[in-house]
Amino acid sequence: MAVTATNSDSPTSIFFKGETGRNTRGLLRLIILCTIAAAAVASRLFSVIRFESIIHEFDPWFNFRATKYLIQHGFYNFWDWFDDRTWHPLGRVTGGTLYPGLMVTSGAIYHFLRFLTLPVDIRNICVLLAPAFSGLTAFATYLLTSEMSDSPSAGLLAACFMGITPGYISRSVAGSYDNEAIAIFLLVFTFYLWIKAVKVGSVMWGGLTALFYGYMVSAWGGYVFITNLIPLHAFVLICMGRFSPRLYVSYTTWYALGTLASMQIPFVGFLPIRSSDHMSALGIFGLIQLVGFTEYIRAQLPSKQFQTLLRAMVLIVFGVAFGGLVLLTVSGTIAPWSGRFYSLWDTGYAKIHIPIIASVSEHQPTAWPAFFFDLNMLIWLFPAGVYMCFRNLRDEQVFVVIYAVLSSYFAGVMVRLMLTLTPIVCVAAAMALSQILDTFLVAEAPAEPSGDATKANGSASSNGSANIKDKLNSAIPESLRSTKAPLVGIYSYLSKSLTAGAVTAYLLLFVLHCTWVTSNAYSSPSVVLASRLPDGSQHIIDDYREAYYWLRQNTKQDAKVMSWWDYGYQIGGMADRPTLVDNNTWNNTHIATVGKAMSSREEVSYPIMRQHEVDYVLVVFGGLLGYSGDDINKFLWMVRIAEGIWPDEVKERDFFTARGEYRVDDEATPTMKNSLMYKMSYYNYNSLFPAGQAQDRVRGSKLPATGPELSTLEEAFTSENWIIRIYKVKDLDNLGRTHQEAGAFGKGNKRKKGGKRRGARVLRVD
Amino acid sequence: MKVLQALTALLPLGVFGAKKAATGDRFQTYHSKQLSAGGPVKIDDKIYAELTKGPRDYSITVLLTALEARFGCNLCNEFQPEWEMLGKQWAKGDRNAEGRLLFTTLDFLDGKNTFQSLQMQTAPVLLLFPPTTGPNAKPDGAPVRFDFSSGTNKAEPIHSWLSRQLPSIPHPQFVRPINFLKIGVAITAVLGFITFATVAAPYILPVIQNRNLWAAVSLIAVLLFTSGHMFNHIRKVPYVSGDGKGGVSYFAGGFQNQFGLETQIVAAMYGVLSFATISLALKVPRMADARTQQIAVFVWGGVILGMYSFLLSVFRIKNGGYPFWLPPF
Amino acid sequence: MRLRVLGLLVGLLGLVSALSAQGNKLLVVLEEEADKSRYSQFWSSLSDRGFQLTYRSPKDTGLSLFQHGVPAYSHLLLLPTKAKGLGPALTPNLIVDFVNAGSNVLLTLSSEVGIPSAISSLLLELDITLPADRNSLVVDHFNYDTKTAAEDHDILLLPSPKQANNAIKDYFSVDSLVAFPHAVGQVLGNASPLLSSILKAPSTAYTYNPKDDSGDSLEDVFASGNQITLVSAFQARNSARFTVVGSAEALEDKWFDAAVQVPGAGKKSEKTGNKAFAEKVSAWTFKEAGVLKVESVSHYLNEGPQSTLTNSSSALGQANVDLNPTIYRIKNSVHYAIALSEWSGTHWTPFTPAAADSVQLEFSMLSPFHRLNLIPSSQTPTATIFTSTFTLPDQHGIFNFFVEYRRPFLTNVEEKRTVTVRHFAHDEWPRSFVISGAWPWIGGIWVTVAGWVAFVVVWLYSKPAQPKGDLKAQGFRR
Repeated sequence: MAVTATNSDSPTSIFFKGETGRNTRGLLRLIILCTIAAAAVASRLFSVIRFESIIHEFDPWFNFRATKYLIQHGFYNFWDWFDDRTWHPLGRVTGGTLYPGLMVTSGAIYHFLRFLTLPVDIRNICVLLAPAFSGLTAFATYLLTSEMSDSPSAGLLAACFMGITPGYISRSVAGSYDNEAIAIFLLVFTFYLWIKAVKVGSVMWGGLTALFYGYMVSAWGGYVFITNLIPLHAFVLICMGRFSPRLYVSYTTWYALGTLASMQIPFVGFLPIRSSDHMSALGIFGLIQLVGFTEYIRAQLPSKQFQTLLRAMVLIVFGVAFGGLVLLTVSGTIAPWSGRFYSLWDTGYAKIHIPIIASVSEHQPTAWPAFFFDLNMLIWLFPAGVYMCFRNLRDEQVFVVIYAVLSSYFAGVMVRLMLTLTPIVCVAAAMALSQILDTFLVAEAPAEPSGDATKANGSASSNGSANIKDKLNSAIPESLRSTKAPLVGIYSYLSKSLTAGAVTAYLLLFVLHCTWVTSNAYSSPSVVLASRLPDGSQHIIDDYREAYYWLRQNTKQDAKVMSWWDYGYQIGGMADRPTLVDNNTWNNTHIATVGKAMSSREEVSYPIMRQHEVDYVLVVFGGLLGYSGDDINKFLWMVRIAEGIWPDEVKERDFFTARGEYRVDDEATPTMKNSLMYKMSYYNYNSLFPAGQAQDRVRGSKLPATGPELSTLEEAFTSENWIIRIYKVKDLDNLGRTHQEAGAFGKGNKRKKGGKRRGARVLRVD
Repeated sequence: MKVLQALTALLPLGVFGAKKAATGDRFQTYHSKQLSAGGPVKIDDKIYAELTKGPRDYSITVLLTALEARFGCNLCNEFQPEWEMLGKQWAKGDRNAEGRLLFTTLDFLDGKNTFQSLQMQTAPVLLLFPPTTGPNAKPDGAPVRFDFSSGTNKAEPIHSWLSRQLPSIPHPQFVRPINFLKIGVAITAVLGFITFATVAAPYILPVIQNRNLWAAVSLIAVLLFTSGHMFNHIRKVPYVSGDGKGGVSYFAGGFQNQFGLETQIVAAMYGVLSFATISLALKVPRMADARTQQIAVFVWGGVILGMYSFLLSVFRIKNGGYPFWLPPF
Repeated sequence: MRLRVLGLLVGLLGLVSALSAQGNKLLVVLEEEADKSRYSQFWSSLSDRGFQLTYRSPKDTGLSLFQHGVPAYSHLLLLPTKAKGLGPALTPNLIVDFVNAGSNVLLTLSSEVGIPSAISSLLLELDITLPADRNSLVVDHFNYDTKTAAEDHDILLLPSPKQANNAIKDYFSVDSLVAFPHAVGQVLGNASPLLSSILKAPSTAYTYNPKDDSGDSLEDVFASGNQITLVSAFQARNSARFTVVGSAEALEDKWFDAAVQVPGAGKKSEKTGNKAFAEKVSAWTFKEAGVLKVESVSHYLNEGPQSTLTNSSSALGQANVDLNPTIYRIKNSVHYAIALSEWSGTHWTPFTPAAADSVQLEFSMLSPFHRLNLIPSSQTPTATIFTSTFTLPDQHGIFNFFVEYRRPFLTNVEEKRTVTVRHFAHDEWPRSFVISGAWPWIGGIWVTVAGWVAFVVVWLYSKPAQPKGDLKAQGFRR
């Protein structure tokens, strides 16, 4: 595809000359872009075809639920939505604590289709939203890249990279109805608009940037990335002495309007002027005013001393402003960096202070295979592209460089931020590859070099850091070493064909890789698990939905379900039952309470559960199936989070054996064996096995011969493969005994005669 | 050191006095000693025994530590100054001992028997003996043990822990003294840097503004990060580890872990690949001589092919099920 | 809770004849037919009150407390038996299940016959402790019947039981002495809030085992004085009642109309109040007295158009009231009303709590945010309406209107109504121009707008300055 694209520009074809040529090229571009979009959508449909049109994973279930609420009750009720079915009994001011962009988007689409008398089920809209927007993302990438590079093929290449690269597919397959689904498109498009604005320097483009920035803010918390990247770009440009009215106009427009727009979102509110995450934008706004002023003055009266004075003044004011900012932060007027964001810089921070953040799997650092897995060959084309940006360092290419360095750092620290890295990788890689293709796919003999290369070269020599001409000009070359010599071109067809062939092969390999990764790694809706039977046939493990539907059909409408927070959204979405905690981890204490209940003895947990009116407790247990993502493996996080609040009642140390091992078998510590989580996981488990043969296939350890006893809970439901186990919380004993006593009496063993009480006699007073 | 000598001089007397004195005096003695010493009292087996024996109307914390270099207990040595500071401030905090809390340090050299009797494998260990008599007495005089396993070597957690354990006594504030030296150093450094910058500006500026420099820097940064350097930094992975049979395994098995060396190899591969690309794209078309250009194309093309296929093969090591490969490897 | 409601339903069915609020099928377990005649007056008084008595022997094979899994009888009366146990049909577990199913038990003990171990282990589950040895009885050298027990002092004469404090309603007082022959003293555990003693031994009483002559039983007495309870009442969480009468003989005919005399000069013989007492105890046990019912619970927003309803008691009936809404807003003013009625033995009457007692309402999330005394505002023929009006706390969440009224000798009332308290909606805040503090800022906005417009006008109609292009160029390379 990419190859044809480049072919369409190669001067070989005489049909593509002059006016008609431009039209044909335009048409071809359009067709190619459409095909790319089609490919992007198609490659995301594996899961729908294989399983069904179902919402994936965890967060999407909440978004789906919220969208349904929006459809049902209208926008304003959604805006003021107080959700009394999560975070029982606290409830959640949902309308004010979410990014409404996603729901509103799909709601708008829904109503639009209705208006067109196309009654489409909202679920299908939600499922297919991400693929649809991925098509748009490809288009936006095309626009962005075309701004970056002179080569006409770069844009198309970038578009098709963006369309199929796993790094982006991972969060945008059909059914993963998450904020990122639309946010990435907005990210890329906002950057495109910003670049355009800086190039043209018009208020309109700046305003558009602000508009889409506002949309981005309403859609994803990752907007902070833009909020800091654009000021950084502006700052670097100023430092490079490239301040220009264009920059001034575009930045001020963007900042003023964008900030106003972002403050319209309740969840963001006054953050843009109150929190450190946004202070860089504000500071640059101030700085750019100063610089603009000085530039103006300088232009008016060219007096050397006065200029130096001015420059000094700028520096001083900037310094003072910065100091004031720091002071405000210290004094607390400006909120310090938000935890999630701060943990990006101080990588050890989260693990100590915010275990919840550290506990999320997608907040872990990225190992190199993940990079290669998600970006395949782009990952090594990427540095080449970045390097080529230095060839003629125009404003927008500066942007590419900054973006590249920053986002690769972020992606290195957090797996999920691979998402922000992917677009720039596609852009840079496309620039590099298109350079090669443009060079090697020129048919003529190198008598006269191809047009754009010279232009590029010429521009390289023309601008560039010109202010060092006066001193040490000879010592240091002003342009890149690799581009000093004049451009000649490729002589032999052999080398041309060889390189072209090789590149084509790599591209095909890339396509294969992407398809393979998508179909194997990123297309399973972790709600339904698929496993291969010995004979290779696929076997669907549907325990989650089995259990959730059991809850939906066999429990009271308002039966409170206690589980670890990972399953909160799913229970809310699929089982439609109130939960104590869910994936919106806004209340550490409440989560710690659940953690404490899970990790303490029954006598301790029961009062907690009574107090929170818990009716059912749900645990995930993979021991029978070897499903490693179960609660026993997450257990230590519960303990840590609980320990953060009750350091004297829950101690992580007590769950490790003397040799510091985390065991579930005979050597397990008493604390471990008595913890509610352990009991609930292994209750009745060894009834499946011949005596003493009970085996945990995840931990790969043999379990104690006698299983744990439960007195305050009774088993209500266990799914087919024992992945989900649901327990009912018993009511208080009718005769006012403890549950242990009641159980003992029920089993028929007598209580010791009270007559022979030892010790001092306690007298009853009425 | 002088303090220590003074203490050792005092010890027998102190013990003697305490032997026939009531517990109140026992506490008074050591509290005054603590005040004079300006920090936790250094004790040995005997004093430990008679301080911790019940009935106590005061609470006592004992830090069992091994400061000698030959024990190689880093945590002990890191924690010692903090401990001193805490004890000092606490003693100053309630000078007239309303809290009735003693801070003592028992080094392994002076307290072998105690260490043995407590079957201590690791140091440091912080024990808190609550009072057995008096208003806020615990029924059993059993000591509470602070858990150092979380790698604490600061005084604040200890302070909060003590405050939690002894809720009903006054808790003097713990304030970390301001390190003026550090601040001064920082300020001078900044000023020096500024002056240097202003003086050397004309010579440095071009270097700073040199494009190749920036290109190199950003490329290196990108290569580092994309080859999983941050993972090593955060997870503190080993640089390289040996396989079972004496050899060295350069690549960690499994998708989710890696070695330091491994990432460097990968970074190098990426570097070579992208450099080859750059050369193909920029250098080659600028070669005047057709023959050299031909050769260059072959060489770079070959390099890319080889490296890429090697990269794929390495990736197949990490991810068993990966089906794709390229010729030589 | 559900069990209690069920019990009440059964009661309404049986209401036609019986005085009990729960049902009229009473199972009497006694060993020989011979014993039956000894209690004839008691039986007649019971059957007069509309109970269908069924007499069974514990050995009877056809005897079963349950039928198709539900209690076959709503009441059970156990007379002392000589056997060690009560047979397969009356094992402690079965009796506990019977009680858990909401039925009531009246258990009578006798030191003459001795206490089966099954009984004592059953009572232990209720936290009632009996003397270790089967035959020990309660002796009092100051309050005994001089006529019959001049030697043994084991027939106690007790004044009419009265409650310790006036926060507890009195259901058991009689107007003459109660004779208690060969009583088995019970000791109530002080942990369980479900226990309460109806009749206590006088402070001079103590337990004593006539069988062993070695006086070591006197060395450590099982219990003495007020700690000995002779008639103890246990009310389970589901309001099923379990009464232990220390002396079965006290229910016999001969004590119903016996004349007794306490020791001491000038004390003359008088008639016992056993008949009345037996009636009262059985009446309470079989849910004829002290049975409460929640007739209705209602709460509504006490603001705007509905604010006038508070004083008019008939608010609940009105059509235009949004009654029992599921959601309120923080700081709303809310009106809550609960109608309680008490069973008088024939019909439901308005309930009035004891003098020093009052019904309380909790408005709670995790912990109570309000705990208010409800005021008896009005009465219907069958119920008293307790009401309160209060302002919701400034805290959103899922709250409960919770009335938990547990008192000795009264069935438990536990009414929980869950409501959501939401935050302010976006349009419920005061508008900016209402807040005087905001005027400077609003003014600022308009000034800026005006300034901008003016600037644009000036700009458009003034001579263009020199082109900005070269300025940029200068700015670019300096």
